[in-house]
Amino acid sequence: MQVTVRHLAAACAALFAVAIGSQAADAQALDRILKDKKIRITAEVTSPPFGILDKDNKPTGSEVETARQLAKDLGVELELVQVTGPQRIPALLSDRADLAISSLSITTDRAKTVWFSSPHGALSIVIGGGKNVNIKSAADLAGKKIGMTRATLEEQVVPKVAPPGTNIVFFDEHSATQQALLSGQVDAIGGAAFLINELGKRNPDKGIETKFTVVTAFYGIAVKPGNFDLLQWVNTWVFVNKQNGVLAKIYKEHTGVDLVDLPNL
Amino acid sequence: MTYVFQFGIVFDQLPLLLEGALLTIRLAATAMVFGLAVAVMCAYLRTSGPKPVRVLVAAYVEGIRNTPFLVQLYIIYFSLPALGIRFEANQAAVVAMVVSFGAYATEIVRAGVQSVPVGQVEVGLALGLKRFQIYRLIVLFPALKAVFPALASQFILLLLGSSVVSAISANELTAVANSLQSTTFRAFEVYIVATVMYLTIAVAFRGFFAALYWIVFVRGRER
Repeated sequence: MQVTVRHLAAACAALFAVAIGSQAADAQALDRILKDKKIRITAEVTSPPFGILDKDNKPTGSEVETARQLAKDLGVELELVQVTGPQRIPALLSDRADLAISSLSITTDRAKTVWFSSPHGALSIVIGGGKNVNIKSAADLAGKKIGMTRATLEEQVVPKVAPPGTNIVFFDEHSATQQALLSGQVDAIGGAAFLINELGKRNPDKGIETKFTVVTAFYGIAVKPGNFDLLQWVNTWVFVNKQNGVLAKIYKEHTGVDLVDLPNL
Repeated sequence: MTYVFQFGIVFDQLPLLLEGALLTIRLAATAMVFGLAVAVMCAYLRTSGPKPVRVLVAAYVEGIRNTPFLVQLYIIYFSLPALGIRFEANQAAVVAMVVSFGAYATEIVRAGVQSVPVGQVEVGLALGLKRFQIYRLIVLFPALKAVFPALASQFILLLLGSSVVSAISANELTAVANSLQSTTFRAFEVYIVATVMYLTIAVAFRGFFAALYWIVFVRGRER
């Protein structure tokens, strides 16, 4: 019995120490990163051209290369934390990652939970489908089965423009959503314009094309609320790399299109 | 720590979660009924069927038990349409669950069948019963009684394993929780509520099985 109580006390003490420790770390995230010489950044690798696996199964894409550049400029080692779309924000909140650089579009809803930097890229959300599917505008979505990925911008914007009678179904990963379109389980999918283009290029026999643009959005780098120092540095980094053209170069290299003028947050 | 729980957001969406929970129960219960039918047939074929059929059943059981459920699910939902067999997400989920539960339950029922003393089968033979009649009238009841707890446990695993089918857009409890998490970002609260719901469903089913066992195997025998 005595042993049990002592163990319990030790466990409580340990838990307390961890709680205190992590709180202290939160207050000075940037200092901790510099001290550890390591920054942990999310990598979503099922979302071309932002994040994909290359031929050697290594993460790459515009957002992963952005993360590499940022870690290099900070002078620390980069640890990529692989996440799925829905895990991008939870990974920050649960302290598994210091930054989310995974084409996270800036929305007021998301800003209730994480803090955004100024945008470092832009993307359009479109509806894409096969040539034989007749969709020209949002009104044509009625009676169609539209697939999309959870916890994405399309999940927030497409239901708002879809007329009643649209059957929207949700998948956990972009790869599953795309597979649903390719296998004909859905009539069309919502997603980033690049993603639809890439899908069309990789599957020429399916005749996949962009039907219409739902919204154009800007995405930024997200930090856990409270990390002022880290956010300040990230904002400075975005500013500098916008001016010197590094962000535009990475964007062009991976998406094939020019980066539009980015506003400040 | 500084985390502030906000369950209000989750409780506002409780009807959605309950709808998801209901679908979870329906999927699992349907899969159990059909899966058990598959298992009873396959257990018979595996123990008493002709040699080629035995091999076929063994291949089915081992093939399913040695591959991941998620992969089976993807094959049924994403690959079968290429062969012209198209299931809706919920149908695909049930089919995958029946196929999977059927394989595991086949092995459990087979164990039960083989636990029935040979003497009882010989009695059946002496009475001039056909093989399948012996199975149906003499072997099956004590076999199911012997393995009932194992079958009940396997069903609970099936119920909890159904959380995976959110991957193909079936709208069960985990899928609803995932969607809710992605719109409210209150991952902690959403999954705590989902966990409590799964726990409640699982405990309720355990109670149901205990009652079923008593009604069918205990009281039924006393009469």
